[in-house]
Amino acid sequence: MNNKEIPGEYLRFNVTERIQHVIMFVTFLLLSFTGWALKYPEQTVEHSSWLVQIWGGAKNAGIVHRIAGITMLLDFVWHVIYLAYSLGTGKMKLRWNTTIIPTPKDVTDAIQNILYFLGLSKTKPKFGRFSYIHKFDYWAVFWGMGIIGLSGLFLAFPVWASNFFPSWSVNWIWEVLFIMHSDEALLAIVFILFWHFYNEHLRYNKFPMSTTWITGKISIEDMKHEHPLEYELEFGDKRGQ
Amino acid sequence: MRRFLIAALLWVPLVCFASSASADTFTCLACHSAMKGKIRTEKDVIVDVHVDSERYAGSVHGGFDCITCHKQFHSNPHQAVKVGSVPPAIAALASRISQKAKVDPVALAACSECHGDVYKAWEDSVHGKNIIAKKQTDGAACLDCHGSPHYITPKNTKTSLVNRNHIVETCGECHNKEEIAKKYNLGTHIVERYEESFHGKKYVIGHQNAPTCVSCHGAHDVRKWDDPKSPVAWDNRQETCGKCHKGATKKFVAAITHKPYGKGNPVPYYFEKGLIVLLLGVFAFITGHVILEAIAEIRDKVLRKGKEGHHE
Repeated sequence: MNNKEIPGEYLRFNVTERIQHVIMFVTFLLLSFTGWALKYPEQTVEHSSWLVQIWGGAKNAGIVHRIAGITMLLDFVWHVIYLAYSLGTGKMKLRWNTTIIPTPKDVTDAIQNILYFLGLSKTKPKFGRFSYIHKFDYWAVFWGMGIIGLSGLFLAFPVWASNFFPSWSVNWIWEVLFIMHSDEALLAIVFILFWHFYNEHLRYNKFPMSTTWITGKISIEDMKHEHPLEYELEFGDKRGQ
Repeated sequence: MRRFLIAALLWVPLVCFASSASADTFTCLACHSAMKGKIRTEKDVIVDVHVDSERYAGSVHGGFDCITCHKQFHSNPHQAVKVGSVPPAIAALASRISQKAKVDPVALAACSECHGDVYKAWEDSVHGKNIIAKKQTDGAACLDCHGSPHYITPKNTKTSLVNRNHIVETCGECHNKEEIAKKYNLGTHIVERYEESFHGKKYVIGHQNAPTCVSCHGAHDVRKWDDPKSPVAWDNRQETCGKCHKGATKKFVAAITHKPYGKGNPVPYYFEKGLIVLLLGVFAFITGHVILEAIAEIRDKVLRKGKEGHHE
């Protein structure tokens, strides 16, 4: 098969991964909009803001928030099981240049990239399948699931959750859960608005957005450019032919 | 004087149509609906003499004669007016609450004629006891929450001071006051704390099931939390919280305190400070990174004409 041409496009994400991503961002948007209304009411008791009204009232907004939250958590659980299954059956391999797991190279890549931005380095770092930018984006979701997802689950079912907390914590645990949920949700929204939106939507070659989330594909040119190490791993030996 | 009389007479037809009360009431309202401002009685009490006859007619008490409640008058200008008789029970009650109702204690006591059960519950409440037993002037009586009896509208109407939308504000009239909190050793910033809580936030954005003050503390029979009959007393909390949170346990009901944020409750206080540091740190990194990268990309496109310092 050595004579096989280098294709014009490369399948970056399979259909399972794409569906997981769609569920993730749809629930994220629902949670952000319904949650924002509660975090920053900016209204009086007698006049609901449009953020509440679009859901048909505060009660419905709460139901939407809970359903979206549980769906997101299930999506996350599905993703983790999928990863375990794919790795277990050998469909996915752990390799230095394709892994999403942070490596020491990510630290040096980040430093080199910032030096390049500042004009202090002549060359950009070579990225694998996932750059440190992607890895930050990806692991932020894990952080969010642990902090926001867990606290949200406890806050949605407080009577059930109260069984888990020792009696010496009752004076502050609910405040802590609330702060965890609310402040970290703000961080998540800010993170998505700046990090994810810039990297996947606003970049000059991606505006208004990268179509990879729909097709799963990336053009070979972009792959060479953005993921040179993965390109070499996949097609490197065909270069000279 | 003449101008005043004409102004008063102009009101008469309006009052006649608006109200179904007797001729005596029109006589009173003929002047009192036209009079504006306040007077000082010989007991040095400031009284608003104005009664808005239209609003009175539209209130739940609109059909009453003035003397149904104002059974006696104690100021000179009214001594010639026909005075209703004061039943001994009302007179006795009036004397017990006279320090609260300086204008007309009999009229305040008269509420009990129709609202007997409510009045009894109130007498036994922390508000009622404060007035009757402790002879204090603060502590809510009927008018402090419901407003003037001339203008009381049903609880489900927009103008009611005790409807869902107004009750928190109404309680806050006194419970937002630092001096009240200090005098009676109550928590400060209670309304603020409530509005920061999930219950309060839901209430503010219009969630119809969100509890207000009275949902947990009771209304006419409100008691201090250490009174065993209070719905928020430790032994009653499971039942009270259980109205919404089915299966509420001892541990669960300890959650709500209305305690102020701050160093007095250090774990959440410093936890939040830590999260803010994290939030600002991440925010600084990502915005800095994005801005630097955007500038670098523009630089590469414009100045280096697409030639990136790359591996090629």
